[in-house]
Amino acid sequence: MKNLKVDVTDLKKNFGDNHVLKGIDFKVAQNEVVVLIGPSGSGKSTLLRCLNRLEEPTSGKVIIDGNNISDSKTNIDQARENIGMVFQHFNLFNNLTVGQNVELAPVELGKMSKEEAVNAAKQLLSTVGLDDKYDAMPQSLSGGQKQRVAIARALAMNPDIMLFDEPTSALDPEMVGDVLTVMKDLAKKGMTMVVVTHEMGFAKEVADRVVFMADGKVMEEGKPEEVFDNPQNERTKTFLEKVINV
Amino acid sequence: MKKIIALISCMFGLFVFMNVYHEPQVDAAEKTYTIGTDVTFPPFVYANSNNKYVGIDMELIRSIAKEEGFKVDIKPIGFNAAVQSLSSGQIDGVIAGMTITDERREKFDFSTPYYKSGIVMAVAPKSDVKSLKDLKGKRVAVKTGTSGATYANSIKDRYGFKTVTFDDSDNVYNDVKNGNSAACFDDSAVLNYGVKTGLGLKVVTKPTDTGSYGFAVEKGKNKELMAKFNSGLKKLKANGQYDKIIKKYTGESATSSQKKANDKADSEGHTFIGLIKQNKSAILEGIFETIKLTVVSIICATIFGVLVGLLGVLPSKVARGASTTIIYIFRGLPLLVLALFIYNGVPSLTGSKVPAFIAGIITLTLNEGAYTAAFVKGGIAAVDPGQMEAARSLGLPFGRSMRKVILPQGIKIMIPSFINQFIITLKDTSILSIIGILELTQTGKIIIARNLEGFKIWTIIALIYLIIITVLTLLSKWVERRIND
Ligand SMILES: Nc1ncnc2c1ncn2[C@@H]1O[C@H](COP(=O)(O)OP(=O)(O)OP(=O)(O)O)[C@@H](O)[C@H]1O
Ligand SMILES: [Mg+2]
Repeated sequence: MKNLKVDVTDLKKNFGDNHVLKGIDFKVAQNEVVVLIGPSGSGKSTLLRCLNRLEEPTSGKVIIDGNNISDSKTNIDQARENIGMVFQHFNLFNNLTVGQNVELAPVELGKMSKEEAVNAAKQLLSTVGLDDKYDAMPQSLSGGQKQRVAIARALAMNPDIMLFDEPTSALDPEMVGDVLTVMKDLAKKGMTMVVVTHEMGFAKEVADRVVFMADGKVMEEGKPEEVFDNPQNERTKTFLEKVINV
Repeated sequence: MKKIIALISCMFGLFVFMNVYHEPQVDAAEKTYTIGTDVTFPPFVYANSNNKYVGIDMELIRSIAKEEGFKVDIKPIGFNAAVQSLSSGQIDGVIAGMTITDERREKFDFSTPYYKSGIVMAVAPKSDVKSLKDLKGKRVAVKTGTSGATYANSIKDRYGFKTVTFDDSDNVYNDVKNGNSAACFDDSAVLNYGVKTGLGLKVVTKPTDTGSYGFAVEKGKNKELMAKFNSGLKKLKANGQYDKIIKKYTGESATSSQKKANDKADSEGHTFIGLIKQNKSAILEGIFETIKLTVVSIICATIFGVLVGLLGVLPSKVARGASTTIIYIFRGLPLLVLALFIYNGVPSLTGSKVPAFIAGIITLTLNEGAYTAAFVKGGIAAVDPGQMEAARSLGLPFGRSMRKVILPQGIKIMIPSFINQFIITLKDTSILSIIGILELTQTGKIIIARNLEGFKIWTIIALIYLIIITVLTLLSKWVERRIND
C-alpha cells in the first residue's frame, strides 16, 4: 500500500486488567474506505479512539498522515484538526445553534474568519440537506438531522480523514438512509474513511475493504465480497450468520 | 456576562475601600490601644439606649486614656471572646469586670485592683428563701465562667442544692423569676444594680467570697499600657474622679434615673414597634454590617470557589488533588471552629493581628468557597463527557473546549446551587458574632442583654433575616433569568 493515511503497528490498549486491544496492525491508504465490523466489546471503538488519541495507547505505534499520534510530544490538537470524528450519540454542542456548532472550531482555531465560516457552514449544511436549520438549536432536531449536522461540523475543519463510530446505531430506521447517503457522497468524493458500523449493505456498497475484529484482534480482512460471501475465519462466519439473520 | 463581572468587581473594590476607610487612623502622637470588653455587665459595662458603651469600666478606661494621653478602641465582643482574643494578641487589653484570680494570673498581667466585689444571692420577690440553708434540694441558676458560678459550685454539696448553667445573664434571671430555679449567684455590684433598676429580683445575702476587679494585658506584653493604666488610676483616685464615676453608676440618683429609663422603655417597649423605635440605629447598623459581610463574602467565596472548582477538573492529577484537599478541609471544618482558628488561633502563632471583619471574610470565603467549589466541579462533571470529546476531536485545546462548550452548559446546571449558596452565606454571617463582629445577630444579643426582651427581639431579628433573604433570592432569580435568555 502506498500513501498510507493510517499506519497502526502492534497497538495494545489495556483498561486496568482488561486487555482490550491485543496487538493490532491496521493500515488505511489515501482515498480508501475501510469498514470495521465485529461483535460488541471486541474493541472497535477503542481502536478508532486511539487513532485521534481520545484513548491513550498502552503500547504500539499510531501514525496518521506521517504524524506519530502515539508520541506524547506530538501536538495532538494540531493533529486532530486533520482527523474528523463522528460519534454514535452525535455530541452536538447543546449550548450553540446548528450554525455555531459548525463554525466554532474553524473560527476558534483561526482557520477561517467569522464571515468565511458562516458561508462554509451554510454551504456544508446544504450539502447534508439542512439549509433551513442554520439557526435551530440541536435539541429541536431529529436524530438523523443531528448526525448530519455532526458530519458537517467535522467537515468544516476540512479534514483528510473521517472516523465514524456507529453513526447510525442510535437512529430510528427511517433516518438511517439520509445519513448513509451523506456518507456515500463523501466516499465518492474520495474521503479517506474508517467506519465502524453494523450496516452490512453500506459496507458491501461503499467499502474498499472490510476488517473483522474479535477479542481485541483483527481476525480477517479483505474486499467486502470476499469477507461476506466467503469468510475464512470461524469467528467471522458465526458473527455474519448472527448479523444477517437479524 | 462581562458586564456582570465588571459590576461585581466594582462593588468589591468599593467595599474594600469602605472597610479600609473604617479602620481607625493611627495617630503618630497618640497611640491607640484596642480594648476588649463584655457585651453587657452593668453597671461596669453596658450599652445605653443610644447603643453607646457606658458603665464604670468604660468611664474608667476612657478617663485614664485622657489623663495619660492615649486612645482606646473599645471592642464589646463578650467576656469569653475578649479573654481569648487577649491571649492570642488580637487585642491589647481587657477591662470587663474581671476578677483577679491565680489561674488568670498565669496568662495575664493585672493592674492594681480598681473595684472590690463579692458574691450575693438573689431570689424572686415572693420567694421565702432567705439564706443558703433554705436551698436544700432546690435548683440554683448561674452564668458560665463567672465567679458566681465558681462560688455556687464550691458550696452546693454542703448546702445540698443543684446548679444549672446558662450562657447569658438574662436566661439566669428569667429562670429565677419564673420559678424554675430558687435562686442565683452573681457579683454584688451587678445584682444590686440590677435590683435597683427594676430587674425584678431581690438580694437576700451579704457579699461573701470577695474579690477584686483588675484590668488585664497579655502576660509580659504591653508593659507601657499597664504602667499608664496604673498611674492613671492613681491620679483619678487622688483627684476624686474615681469616686464620682463609682457614685454615678451605683448611687441612688444613677440607679433611679436608670430605673426610670427602664420603666419608660417598659411602658412603650412592650410593643414590637416600641422596641424597633428604641433600637433603630443599632438594628440598622447591624443590618448594614450583615449585608456588607454577605456581599463581600459572596463575591470572594464565589471567586475562590470557582477557581478551586476549575482546578478540580483540570487534566493534571496534582491540580485535582489540591482541589479535593481544599474542599475536604474547609467543608469539613465547622464554621465556628474555622472562625475562631483564623481570628484567635493564627494570630497567636504568627503574632500579627487580623481585624475581625477581615477574619470573618476569610472564614466565609474558605468555607462557602469550598461548597461552591464542590458544586462547580459537580456541575462540570454533570455535562455529558461526549461534549468534551467532540470539542477535543475537532482540535480545540482543553481550555478553549471548557470555555466555549463545557462551562456555558455547566453554569446553567450550577445556578440553583449558586443561589442556594448565597442564602446560606447570608445565614452563616450570624456565626461571626462569635468573634465580636457587630452584625445583626450580635446586635440582637446585645439588645436582649439590656432589655431582656428575648422573644420579641429574636422575632424582629428573624423577620429582618427573612426579608433580606427574600430580596437576595429575588435578585438571584432575576440574574438567573438574564443568564438563561
Ligand atoms: N473507558 C473505559 N474504561 C474501561 N473499560 C473500557 C473503557 N472503554 C471501553 N472499555 C472496555 O473495552 C472493551 C471494548 O470496548 P469497545 O467500546 O472498544 O468495544 P466495541 O467493539 O466498540 O463494542 P460495541 O459494538 O458494543 O460498541 C469493553 O470490554 C469495554 O468494557
Ligand atoms: Mg463501540
